[in-house]
Amino acid sequence: MTQKVVVDFGLCESNGVCMGIIPEVFDLDDQDYLHILQEEVTPENEHQIREAVRQCPRQAISISDE
Amino acid sequence: MTKPKLKFNPVAQEYFENPYEIYKRMRDEAPIYYDEDEDFYALTRHADVAAALKDTDSFSSSRGCDLGMVRTGEVPQKSIIFMDPPEHRHMRSLLNKAFTPRAIQSQRDTVVELVEHYLSKVDPDNFDVVQDFSGPFPVEVITRMAGVPEDFRQQVRHWIDTSLEREPGQIELSEKNMQANIDSAMYYYSLVQERRENPQDDMISRLIAAEIPDDEGNLRKLDDIEITGFTTLLGGAGAETVTKLVGSAVVEFAKHPEQWQMLLDDRSKVPDAVEELLRYVGPVQYNVRYTLKEAHVPSGTVPAHKPVFLMKAAANRDPRAYDRADEFDITRDRAQSPHMGLGYGIHSCLGAALARLETTVALEHLLDFMPRYEVNFDGLQRVTMQNVAGYHNVPVRVLK
Repeated sequence: MTQKVVVDFGLCESNGVCMGIIPEVFDLDDQDYLHILQEEVTPENEHQIREAVRQCPRQAISISDE
Repeated sequence: MTKPKLKFNPVAQEYFENPYEIYKRMRDEAPIYYDEDEDFYALTRHADVAAALKDTDSFSSSRGCDLGMVRTGEVPQKSIIFMDPPEHRHMRSLLNKAFTPRAIQSQRDTVVELVEHYLSKVDPDNFDVVQDFSGPFPVEVITRMAGVPEDFRQQVRHWIDTSLEREPGQIELSEKNMQANIDSAMYYYSLVQERRENPQDDMISRLIAAEIPDDEGNLRKLDDIEITGFTTLLGGAGAETVTKLVGSAVVEFAKHPEQWQMLLDDRSKVPDAVEELLRYVGPVQYNVRYTLKEAHVPSGTVPAHKPVFLMKAAANRDPRAYDRADEFDITRDRAQSPHMGLGYGIHSCLGAALARLETTVALEHLLDFMPRYEVNFDGLQRVTMQNVAGYHNVPVRVLK
């Protein structure tokens, strides 16, 4: 079973908190639009992704099981 | 012997002196605290405060965010902190652009320059961390970003301090508070008009040029009052908070010299220290909301149409959320619960990245400037203010 990062773009306000925590996964482009660079949750990035989920001011990020 | 009746008075002298004492009793004895005299509620447990901050349909900001304001029932001045969704969302999306981590990183040189400037002026044998250092530098950063000319930047700080100051027992705004608000609003209003004539590379000029969707989805410009309101808020939120956090940091590390030593040995722990400071002595104690309908939180129900204190500083020391919640520990496992030092939910601090950067840079420079120091604890003086706590004076001597 793999886990993936999911962003609800209806909620996302481009605060960029997630990018501050793990820029390898979350990136804001020049228009401040959020991109997920790597959607798979791995043992290496899991801790930081969970931190991003927790700290998102909009609660726009979640982790889904596939 | 029975305990004295639990009474939370947000403007009592003993509360200003030690807010954490009463928080413990409120969390344990009255998680949904009701004050009969003043007719308000207060939430103090982490789970309840978090739930309330997420539930903006029930806990509204539209009546204002302090008790005096919410009680008047008047619609406050248009400002992002007094907005609910969807209006809040449009405004926040616009303002965020100036505060993304990337935008804030571009301020690093400014922050370093100002921190070094003010530290270079203090007398190591006797200086006041707040008055000589953590007071003057953050307001310079934020007002420079906003576009306030140099001569007025420190004035902004004095307006904020006067506007937040409360006498023991005073809930409503005093003449003095109001005059400071009027003076600063008049100043910003004329600055906005000046920038309309003559735009510069600053935040006020960018807000003048910006467009946001209105209720019908058409794009509109911001008016002078809206821009004035936001720049006023910026000056307050962006200055006196870091001022207090850094002042409290110096006091906490004087009480825990072994943790100061840890930072001296390993500077990479500074960001963790900043997070623990935000949890343990974060300046914002509470914000008030107004229940639009009966509201449900894990500990129970809050009736409709009441002011409710959401006590973030109490939540930050809730033992239900943190192991050894009452201990200052920069090495604690931060994965346990998020702290609310920068708020939580849609109104969480817009300037969080800037607050972190400024506090980190300040600590790094203080580590160099005063690897060993002592605080004159008898000289500590606390502020008495609406919703924020911290020190007005922190006298320090650097040890050789």
